[in-house]
Amino acid sequence: MSPGRVALRRAIRHGGFWIGGTIIFVIVLMAIFAPLLTPYDPSVQSLSEGFVPPVWAEAGSWEHPLGTDNLGRDYFARLLYGARISLGLGLLTVIISGTIGTAMGITAGYWGGWPDMIINFFITVRLTLPVVLVALVVVALIGSSLWLLILVIGLLLWDRFAIVVRSATQQLAQREYITSARAIGSSTPRILFREILPNITGPLVVVTSIEIAHAILLEAALSFLGLGVQPPDVSWGLMVAEAKAQLLFRPWMIAIPGAALVLLIFAINLVGDALRDVTTPEGKA
Amino acid sequence: MPEVLTMRGVTRDYSVGSGFARKQTLRALRGVDLGVERGKTLGLVGESGCGKSTLAKILLGVEEPTSGEVLVGGKPIQSYDRIERARLIQPVFQDPYSSLNPRMTVEAIIAAPMRVRGEGGRSLQAKVHELAGEVGLPRHLVEAYPSQLSGGQRQRVAIARALIGEPEILICDEPTSALDVSVQSQILNLLHNLKRQLNLTMILISHNLAVVHHLADDVAVMYLGQIVERGPSRDIFEAARHPYSDALLKAVLPPRAGVRLPEMGLEAEFPSPVNPPSGCTFHPRCQKARALCAEQAPCRTDADAEHSYRCHFPNNLKDEECPQV
Amino acid sequence: MSDDTRILSVRGLNVQIPIPGSTLWPVRDVNIDVGRGETVAVVGESGCGKSLTALAIMGLLPRQAKVQSEALRLNAESLAEASPKRWRQLRGDRIAMIFQDPMTALDPCYRIGDQMCEILQQHRKISRSAAMKRSLDLLGKVGIPAPEERLKQYPHQLSGGLRQRVMIAMALLCEPELIIADEPTTALDVTIQAQILRLLRDIQRETNIGLLLITHDLGVVAGMADRIVVMYGGEVVEVGTCDQVLAQPLHPYTEGLVRSIPVPGETEQGEALGYIPGIVPRQVGERTACGFVDRCPYATSACREEPIAMRDAGDGRLMRCILPTDGSARDPDVWILPDETSAQGATNSGSL
Repeated sequence: MSPGRVALRRAIRHGGFWIGGTIIFVIVLMAIFAPLLTPYDPSVQSLSEGFVPPVWAEAGSWEHPLGTDNLGRDYFARLLYGARISLGLGLLTVIISGTIGTAMGITAGYWGGWPDMIINFFITVRLTLPVVLVALVVVALIGSSLWLLILVIGLLLWDRFAIVVRSATQQLAQREYITSARAIGSSTPRILFREILPNITGPLVVVTSIEIAHAILLEAALSFLGLGVQPPDVSWGLMVAEAKAQLLFRPWMIAIPGAALVLLIFAINLVGDALRDVTTPEGKA
Repeated sequence: MPEVLTMRGVTRDYSVGSGFARKQTLRALRGVDLGVERGKTLGLVGESGCGKSTLAKILLGVEEPTSGEVLVGGKPIQSYDRIERARLIQPVFQDPYSSLNPRMTVEAIIAAPMRVRGEGGRSLQAKVHELAGEVGLPRHLVEAYPSQLSGGQRQRVAIARALIGEPEILICDEPTSALDVSVQSQILNLLHNLKRQLNLTMILISHNLAVVHHLADDVAVMYLGQIVERGPSRDIFEAARHPYSDALLKAVLPPRAGVRLPEMGLEAEFPSPVNPPSGCTFHPRCQKARALCAEQAPCRTDADAEHSYRCHFPNNLKDEECPQV
Repeated sequence: MSDDTRILSVRGLNVQIPIPGSTLWPVRDVNIDVGRGETVAVVGESGCGKSLTALAIMGLLPRQAKVQSEALRLNAESLAEASPKRWRQLRGDRIAMIFQDPMTALDPCYRIGDQMCEILQQHRKISRSAAMKRSLDLLGKVGIPAPEERLKQYPHQLSGGLRQRVMIAMALLCEPELIIADEPTTALDVTIQAQILRLLRDIQRETNIGLLLITHDLGVVAGMADRIVVMYGGEVVEVGTCDQVLAQPLHPYTEGLVRSIPVPGETEQGEALGYIPGIVPRQVGERTACGFVDRCPYATSACREEPIAMRDAGDGRLMRCILPTDGSARDPDVWILPDETSAQGATNSGSL
C-alpha cells in the first residue's frame, strides 16, 4: 500500500477532513453551478429594488433570498459568482507562488552553499516586505485587472513554500536513497523530480492549504481597500468593501460575505490541519 | 591477477568551521594506497573518523579526492561519465530504512539503475523478478512499498538494486550493522553466495571484525585517514603487526562461555581529525609508543609481498627502526 | 539466591498497550532477579520487549501503558505501590539508569558539572562545593582525563566514549544499589566499548552494585554477565548462568542466535551461517501457542496446542520449551537452512 494511499485512508477517518472537506466541496459546487442556482446576473443593476433585505427579515422575500445591495443586484447571485473569483484566485495564485517557492526551496535545500545563501537572502528580503502595502503600491501604479492581481499575489506569497520546502529537502538530501540515486547514475533533474519531490508532498500539501487561505484573505483585504477586484467582477472581499458604508444600518450586507469568507477559511484550515495530522506520523519510511 | 580498482595517494580534505569562524582543515583521508584484484573481497575496518565512509563516497563518485588518483579497470575514475561509473560500481548501504525511496515500489527501486540508462520494458520486469528471487525476496513483495518490508528484506532489495546492472565492483558500507543478529547471518550468507556466483569484486566496510573475517579475502585496517595495516585475512587475524589492529581484534567478543573482557591497553581518547597527533597518529593511544613515534610518522613496511603495515615497533618483531626510504 | 542478597525482584511483569481493536502485549509475564554484586543480562533482538521491561521497572513508561506485576521489589520495598514522589526519590539515588545514547540523555544546555551537582543536591543535603568535589572524584574514577576541565564543559564538547563515562559517573553519584544499563555501548566504537565495559565491571566489583544489563549483543553478554535472561516476543524464554546458556543453549531461539554469529577462529570463512527464518510477530492479544513456533525448526504439533510454560531444566536453569532438557533431539545443522539464493530458499526464508 503506497504511502499516499495510507495517508488517504487516515484522512478519511479524520473528522476535520470531513467537515472542512464538505464545506469546501459545497462552496465549490455552488461556484461551478452558479448560473443554475440563480437566475440573476450579479452585475445587473435594478435601482428600484435596492436594499431589499434577505428572506428572514420582515420585508424580505424568496425572490431575493439574500436580498439585494445598494444597486439592486441580487446578493445570492453575487455570493455565488463571487465564490468563483475568490476560489479561482486562491487556486491560481497558489499555483504561481507554489511553483516559485518550491523551486527555490529545493534548490536551496539540495545544493546548499552559495545557492542557499542567495535564496535565503531573497527570502529574508521578502519577509521584510509588508505584503499588503507592496500589493497596494503595485496595483495602484499598474492597474488592477484580475490577471494582474493574481500575478501580484502569486509573486508575493512564495516565502512559506520556499522555507518549508527548503527544510524538508535538507532533511531528505542526507538520506541514503538520495546517495543511492546518485550512485546508480541518476541525473540531477531525475533525482529532484523522482526522489525528492514525491517525498516532500506531505509538508507541501499542508503549506498549500495554508497559502490558499492566505491568498484569499489577501485578495479580500486588497478589495476591501479598493485595489483588488474591480466591478463588474465580484468577489467576497469586494462585497465586504461595498457593504462597509451600510455596516450599522444593514448589517446583513457585510455579514453575509464576511461569514462566507470565515467559513471558507475555516474549512481550508480544517482540511490543512487534517492533512498535517495525517502526513506527519509516518514513522520510518 | 589484474587489479580492478586502484587508489594511489588519495587524500581528501574538508574545510570545517561554521559562519565566519576561521576555517580549519579536516583531513579525512591522507595518502591512501589501495588495490583490489578482480573477484576478491577487501575488508576495510576501522572506527569512527577513520575515513572509510569518505573512501566509499569517493569510489561511488559522490565525492572527489583532493589529490591522488583512483583507477577503475586501469582508467581514472573521472574519465567515466556518471552512467558508465554506475555500470561499474554499485553500493549497498548500512541503513535499510533510509536507503530505499519510500514512495517507490520494490520493483521500481530495483529496476531504477536500468531505467536511468534508458532501458526498460518487459524484459527488464522479468529480470527484476528473477533477481528478486535470487536475493531471497518472496514474489509477492515485488509490488510492495518499503514500509511493508522488514529490515532484512529491505537490505535484500538494496542488494538486488545494486546487482541488476551487473556491476564489477560492489561497495558494501556496513551492510549488516543495522540488522538484528539473526538477520545479519542471512545477508552474510547471501553476499557470500552472490559474490561467488557473479565473481564480484567487493569492498566491505565494517567495524565488525567477525563480519569482515567471514567475507573478506584481504583486510585493510584504517586509522585516522590512513591504512595502518594491510594483508590477507588470515595474516591479519592470526598475526597482526600493528598495535591498533591488535586492539581491534582484542575488542571482538565472541558469544562463548568463559570469555573475558580484554585489557585493551589503549590510552586516552580518540584524536580529532582536525588536529591529528604528530608523527604516528596512533601514538597517544599506543602502549608501546616511544619518543620516535611522536616525532616521525612511520612509512609503509612490507612484512611480505602481500602484508604491509605502518609502525616503528610492530608486534612479533624486535626493536627496529623504520627502513630508510 | 536468598532474599538478603537479592536487590531487585520482578515477578509476573506485564505491560499492555491498548490499540484500536485489541491490545498490544509487549511484555508478558516476566520474572527477573538481580543479586548484590551480580550482573544479569537481558538479551534479545529488536521487538523482544527488553527495553520496555527496563523502563517498566524504573516506572518510566507513559500512562497509556498498563503495567502490572505480582511483585516488583527493590530490596524489601515494593516499587509497584510506590507513589510518584517515592519514585522521584528512588530514581538516581537507589536505582540509576544508563541509556544507549549519551547525547540525548545528557542535557545539551547545561554544563556537565551543573548536571551532576543537580543530581546530588536533589537527593542529598549537601553544599554545592561538596557536590562539585564528589562529581570531580567520580569523573576521575571513571577514567576521564582532566576532570576539572570537563566539569565546565558542555556535552557536545565531549566524544561519545567520554559522554558515556560521564553517564556512568552520574549513575554512581548517589551510590545506588542497582544500575540498569540499556544498550550502554551499542553506539560506541568497538575499542571504546571494550574499555567502557571493563570500567562497568570494575566498578561493580568494587561497589557490589547489582547491574541489569539490557543488550542485543551476545558478545557483550559473554564478557559481562553472570546470569542471562533471554527474551523473545515479550516473554522470557531461557534463564541460566552465562556459561551454561552459551555453552549449551536450551531454548531453540537462543540456539539459533548463537549459531548465527560468526566467530573468527571457529567459523570458517564463507561457511554457511545459521539463521532464524521469518520475522518477529506482533505481540497482540492472548497466546494460543508457543510464541516462537512459526520460526522454530524443531516445532511439532504439540507446540501449537497451548502456550508453553516455563520449565525447570535442572541446575538452576529455566526454559520455555517442551523439548527435552538434556539437549538431545538437537541438531545444530537445523539452522543452516536451504540455500538462500535458490528460488526454493526464497519461499522458505525472508517470508512475512
